[in-house]
Amino acid sequence: MSEIDQATDAAALIEAYYEQGWTDGLPVVPPSDASILAMLSAAGLAGHEVLGEIAGRNTEVIADKAAINAVMAGCRPEYMPVVVAAVKSLCAPAFAYHGPASSTGGSAMVLIVNGPIARRLGINSGNNAFGQGHRPNATIGRAVRLIMMNTMNTRPGFLDRATLGNPGKYAFCFAEHEDDHPWEPLHVARGLKADDSAVTLIASNSLYQVYNQLAAAPEPLLLCFADALSNMGSPNLKGFNETLIVFAGEHADVLRTAGWSRAQVQRFLVERTKRCVADYKRAARMPGAVTEQDETTWRHVFERPEDILIACAGGRAGSWSACLPGWGNKWTRSVTTRIDTTHIDMSQRGGPS
Amino acid sequence: MKLFDPTSKPVEHAVTLAPRPASPKGLRLGLVDNTKFNSDTLLKKLAERLARRHQMTVTVTNRKRSPSHEVDGAGIAALRKQADLVISGIGD
Repeated sequence: MSEIDQATDAAALIEAYYEQGWTDGLPVVPPSDASILAMLSAAGLAGHEVLGEIAGRNTEVIADKAAINAVMAGCRPEYMPVVVAAVKSLCAPAFAYHGPASSTGGSAMVLIVNGPIARRLGINSGNNAFGQGHRPNATIGRAVRLIMMNTMNTRPGFLDRATLGNPGKYAFCFAEHEDDHPWEPLHVARGLKADDSAVTLIASNSLYQVYNQLAAAPEPLLLCFADALSNMGSPNLKGFNETLIVFAGEHADVLRTAGWSRAQVQRFLVERTKRCVADYKRAARMPGAVTEQDETTWRHVFERPEDILIACAGGRAGSWSACLPGWGNKWTRSVTTRIDTTHIDMSQRGGPS
Repeated sequence: MKLFDPTSKPVEHAVTLAPRPASPKGLRLGLVDNTKFNSDTLLKKLAERLARRHQMTVTVTNRKRSPSHEVDGAGIAALRKQADLVISGIGD
């Protein structure tokens, strides 16, 4: 671990991290030997352990560097197991890190936390689940981005080539509202047990909120989502992408009351998210002149129902939900990783925000 | 008080460069298409131009799984065996 003598004043120390180019633009918490060790201990890690690698970029994420970044992000030690699992998702071959991390599309790394760890850490799943105000949401997401920048060379202008980026690149982490869910939680739908803790990673270019205050049945409600997911400006219209949909309270209630299953929702959306070839050509998303046949030749946005990830979060009140289209056709897949909670006291609940 | 460096350097591997060809004339050309829109078109036109100017011949073409994926091991082996010069592309 390299060390540089610096001033003892806290503000000067924070400035020193800026001067080194090690921050995401916000001030960081200066680490200490003790805070780094606490972070490693909470995840049962030795400092030299390799958490993951991106072979094509000659990149390894070493535990002590991940711990330093987690401290800098403002994480409490008990958050570290979530950070570690998120890093493992980033490094999973299926995620194919290079594209979502470096593309001009500027994806956020969206982290959805499930299971007992979410309740233990107090990760917000309710009102303002995507917004500010909750330490684990803000700092776990931030730690992952700092790790990408500092240990994986994913720096703006270098191996992060985002044209615009998006605010979710600072941090994007929330928990599912498992206690008020119409269906099984996301991690169970993806093959884990309900009492497992897990984090699901999906790279998303954008977040847009979907509004409908009148729909009392699934069909009209879901047509709004189908329309939102098949707009001609969507980068992934042609490539059978994944997407994340987050239903909040009132919309989840409509689906629950109607007795629709998760699979029904997914099948409905696969069927309804389509555009005719003529639309593609008129918007120059496909080359060539529009033919008569193009008006009745349809292209679907999604290939399989399971490509539509469905989660539930947000407040009980309000007619809002959200679509988070995935980055890059079939070039990356979302990854769910089990979180090892054996090194933290799971009997506590919540934590200071 | 001290600073803790949060950064990592790339993992270093020893790499041996292939011998540089003395002349471009008649080289065996490998193309790596990263599947981005028009990458195949651009590579084809480049290959045609190199064939006209330097009598190069396309001996192997690799179409990657996606821009986000590396050329796989078999693809690399084929390029090493069958090509003297490889062109890869394209960006946005």
